[in-house]
Amino acid sequence: MSAQVYIFRIQRNMPGQVGTVQSHWQEYSVEAEPNTTILTLLEVIKGQQDGSLTFRQSCRSAICGSCAISISGRTRLACKTHVGAVARDGVVEIAPQKNQPILRDLAIDIRPFFARVHGIKPYLQEGPEKAGKVTSTAYDQVNHVTQCIMCACCYSECTMAEVNPDYIGPAALAKAFRFVSDPREGKKTERLRELSEPNGIWSCTRCTMCVDVCPKEVAPMEAIVKLRTRGLDKGYGDSAAAKHALAFHEDIVKSGQLNEFTLMMRTLGIFGSMKETAMALHLAKKGKIPSPFPHSIQGVEELRKIYASLERTPVDVETKAKQAVPE
Amino acid sequence: MSLEFAYYPGCAAKQIQREADWAARAVCQQLGIRLNDMPRASCCGAVSLRETKPAFAMAVAARILSEAEAMGRDLVTICNTCLQTLSQANYRLQNEPELLEKINAVLAEGGVRPYQGKIQVRHLLWVITEQVDPHLLRSKITRPLKGMRIASFLGCHSVRPVEIYAHSANEENTPHLDQLISIMGGVPVNYTGKDRCCGFHVMLSDKEEVHAMAAKNCLSAKDAGAQIMITPCTLCDMIMGSSQELAAKTVQRTIDLPEMNFAQLLGLAMGLTKSQLGISRLHVDPVPVLSKIGLA
Ligand code: SF4
Ligand code: SF4
Ligand code: FES
Repeated sequence: MSAQVYIFRIQRNMPGQVGTVQSHWQEYSVEAEPNTTILTLLEVIKGQQDGSLTFRQSCRSAICGSCAISISGRTRLACKTHVGAVARDGVVEIAPQKNQPILRDLAIDIRPFFARVHGIKPYLQEGPEKAGKVTSTAYDQVNHVTQCIMCACCYSECTMAEVNPDYIGPAALAKAFRFVSDPREGKKTERLRELSEPNGIWSCTRCTMCVDVCPKEVAPMEAIVKLRTRGLDKGYGDSAAAKHALAFHEDIVKSGQLNEFTLMMRTLGIFGSMKETAMALHLAKKGKIPSPFPHSIQGVEELRKIYASLERTPVDVETKAKQAVPE
Repeated sequence: MSLEFAYYPGCAAKQIQREADWAARAVCQQLGIRLNDMPRASCCGAVSLRETKPAFAMAVAARILSEAEAMGRDLVTICNTCLQTLSQANYRLQNEPELLEKINAVLAEGGVRPYQGKIQVRHLLWVITEQVDPHLLRSKITRPLKGMRIASFLGCHSVRPVEIYAHSANEENTPHLDQLISIMGGVPVNYTGKDRCCGFHVMLSDKEEVHAMAAKNCLSAKDAGAQIMITPCTLCDMIMGSSQELAAKTVQRTIDLPEMNFAQLLGLAMGLTKSQLGISRLHVDPVPVLSKIGLA
């Protein structure tokens, strides 16, 4: 591989009057081998072309999490990303992380992200559920979560955080899962109750974005899925989203098919359904009224037997960190 | 080589989004793709069953995969969430022999044929752009789209997680929809909302947020010059199309971006009739845009 010229299209941001930023795009060209990191090239630009360019960095080895920026449309660690892998027709577009206030150029104010992490109480608490013994397999579930370096790549791309600034977000929820799963934690149930409240585990859209952007294979959404399972097991199934989830196995055991007609009513309750009338009428305009009696599939009794057997003899199918993390 | 599949349209295409199923069957007939119904297949459980009953979810998916395997065919679907749910289960069942054994023991409790891990889960869009003879496909485009500017909305579950789709797609290189747009004679539009989320899976619990997402993504397509939006997913269709007007109200802007399933637009480009493709069931009327290029 040989050196080539890359164009860096960088979003420059300057603080204006209180709470505003002035943005424009500025282009720089640099010559580099394709396997040079973006961070190295930002340093070249700053050192040789424009000393005013502001960005964060520290460890240079994907450990500290400070260099996370948007590179070619995805939030990534600048020190772990090779220019050749992200350039499109020789151009690399660089911008700050999303969903947090911009300070200057590529530097953002990361406090909102950390406020959420601190909000889940990221420490062990004394309490009645603290186990005296810790087995050798106790951390199989959480080893991948503890690799989180708090870079906020996931939060920057989270599709729910984009529209709801109160959403706890992927990294903080993954961290919460680590404490719910730790045998030494004394208040596991209390945590699950709090996490089941609005803006918590049930607000995740399941878009899977955080799984793909995380540079440390933390797979936050998988932790959220497991928190939901554990929350439901503790009886925290009152929210609309939890009821919606619960409707699925009832329908599958009953007819094999999802009943879209009653799904809405069961999820929202009768008053909720009335609030949904606008939606129902809107769908009805186009004749989109699902049948209240979908046909049963053939062999639905097989599913009932399988369900009954699993209720009698549970089978553990959850992924363990060993499988989840190839490192 | 004839293309033949076990066809799994998903619950939405059997009920509210029936037009996507009609269109899929119609374009497959044109392309000589045989879709065999799966009378025993249940709902896949979507994102929810894996949360409420993880082991049952795995067994439900394995039972569906086993039916397709017994038919001797790969499974093909037109719902992104069915695609992800079944692909994820298939990925694990094919790579974790112990899990496969455990789940087959559970299937045996219900008298279900064991799954041997031999089939693939495919999206109809991948079949059309990867497996159909390109000359045949091009020859069927009798009413080309004449440079119409089209936004492809990918939908999360046909591109993520990369791990399970490594063979066919990944988030940063998802060529299928845009390829198809070019083949149909349209121009793919680049816009920021393209790989974002429609929000379907929290539409009942976080309705305002979902409407905000839909509005934002539709508007970003529109601002980039899109005349129409297509998706490969019946659930995306339900939000980006059927609920677009409600979403527009929340942001107090008109959006008015016609949206349809990719199979419907492909059907139109093949000269199939609007009624065959259920075009009148769309909430945002595409006829004004289509008539500009003589398609309606
Ligand atoms: S899967 Fe959930 S937590 Fe992860 S990015 Fe999507 S909405 Fe956010
Ligand atoms: S979960 Fe991954 S992406 Fe999110 S903060 Fe932690 S390391 Fe970064
Ligand atoms: S500089 Fe520390 S993670 Fe990149």
